Amino acid sequence: MRVLVVEDEKKTASFVRKALQAEGFAVDVCHDGDGALAAARATAFDGIVLDIMLPGRDGLSVLRQLRERKNATPVLLLSARGGVNERVEGLNAGADDYLPKPFELAELVARVRALTRRSGENKSTILRVADLALDTITHQAHRGGVAIELTAREYRLLEFLLRSPGRLCGRMMILEKVWDYDFDPGTNLVDVYIRRLREKIDSNFEPKLLHTVRGAGYVLKDQP
Amino acid sequence: MTIRTRLTFWYAGILTVSLLVIGFGTFREIDERLQHEHRREPEQHAMAEAGEMVFQVGLPAVALGLLGGWWLTRRALSPVVGLTEAIKKIHERNLREPLVRTNNDDELDRLTGVFNAMLARLDDSFNRTREFTLHASHELKTPLTILCGETETALRDESLSPAERERAASQLDELRRLARIVDGLTLLAKADAGQVALKLEPVRLDELVRDNFADAQILAEPQGIQVELAACEEISMAGDRHRLRQLLLNLADNAVKYNQREGRVTMSLRRTGDVAEFIIANTGTGIPPEVLPRVFDRFFRGDPAHGQAVDGCGLGLSIVEWIISAHNGSIKIVSVPAKITTVTVRLPLGD
Repeated sequence: MRVLVVEDEKKTASFVRKALQAEGFAVDVCHDGDGALAAARATAFDGIVLDIMLPGRDGLSVLRQLRERKNATPVLLLSARGGVNERVEGLNAGADDYLPKPFELAELVARVRALTRRSGENKSTILRVADLALDTITHQAHRGGVAIELTAREYRLLEFLLRSPGRLCGRMMILEKVWDYDFDPGTNLVDVYIRRLREKIDSNFEPKLLHTVRGAGYVLKDQP
Repeated sequence: MTIRTRLTFWYAGILTVSLLVIGFGTFREIDERLQHEHRREPEQHAMAEAGEMVFQVGLPAVALGLLGGWWLTRRALSPVVGLTEAIKKIHERNLREPLVRTNNDDELDRLTGVFNAMLARLDDSFNRTREFTLHASHELKTPLTILCGETETALRDESLSPAERERAASQLDELRRLARIVDGLTLLAKADAGQVALKLEPVRLDELVRDNFADAQILAEPQGIQVELAACEEISMAGDRHRLRQLLLNLADNAVKYNQREGRVTMSLRRTGDVAEFIIANTGTGIPPEVLPRVFDRFFRGDPAHGQAVDGCGLGLSIVEWIISAHNGSIKIVSVPAKITTVTVRLPLGD
């Protein structure tokens, strides 16, 4: 998987590159809009991380140019301006996702992964990790043959985690996908729900599946 | 006493004195004429005749004069009344709209002109403050992004000792808190500058409240707080779904945070006429009356000791207030300390 990171702020570009490389992505970096267009023309990337505020041609204009040229590479927009309207504007211009600055690195990585994987998403109706299974049609959850009662929200949370097993899921991404919040409510809602879900799927079973990664998010996986 | 009353009194005084002078003049005139004609007992006769004249002609004239004077002052001062009404309507958000001038270059028109110039200067200074906040929050985002990113990168280092890891993670928590504050500031600064447009769509308020009730129950569980939904009438309105959810969650979160162990939270949604009324009440220490008017102020913390213990960005209620006013609604908080705090949100349903 090859990703282009377009970010004029050198330090930001550097840790984004490192984080993506650590996840096994090949990363190209460029620092301005025209460079990004040239790079996207020369190479077929699997995804582009595009900052909106760039010297010269800005990110939105780069994005429009790309789409005009029928280049459908998935694009994750980054922005320091962080307005609700800007998010809509970005998505309308053809972006696939939008992340306001300051973002969580784990979040960015998870989103880039989701972008580049989109086509090969798990289409199965039964999602599994170890002996935990969730039927996405009947909304029934089982672990080790024992049925688990879930509320609607808990179901959505578990489904979301099960769709990217072994991958780190950031708080903001969970709020966005499970709660459909486009804002950070500043509550510990996610932590409390995770705790409840853990009680239901983990407390009477071994091995533990739902793990907290301090400062980053949550991961549902087989091994510790 | 209003200027109009004062002027009317003065005017009445002047008219009375004029009447006396006229009466005296008439008396002298008649007296002289009678002396000339009859040369006999003129004084009494003249007095009676002058008195008659004053009563029959003078008094109606005075009454007419008074009436005219009253009308005149009213007319002259009516622009002042208009001005007063117009000035009453001025608040920090409509400074840009100047008062209407008559352009007849009289004293009041000039006063209006000077007042408009003052409004413009005020508006300018308000704008500068807003722009400053907006720019400051933008400027803070880049270094914050770098700090968060680098701390997170450091956390990924496998060779960190548990103590170092804990320190980095705790730094990251604080950085994220800072990020939330900056986010809140950006939102409010943009709202002040009128740069945040609501995305209005038909919204089922009762569904949002039910959803929020479920979240509130989960949030309240660790402290053993009971959450109750007393009423939830079916209500649709045109509103911004995300902002309304943010509003409800914020209020629910406060009701849990500022509660006591084993406390209670009661919410209800009812329709009264053209207004949706959402009420959320919680037990707990409550808000002292002297603090109540300031709870919507940005970064205001009623009780410093309490503020430290409760995590938050200090902008929650300011954002709540903005969301409500953007929907043309109102919010009222009533608190009986050590007993119950009731927040009432009223949102007009429109047509």
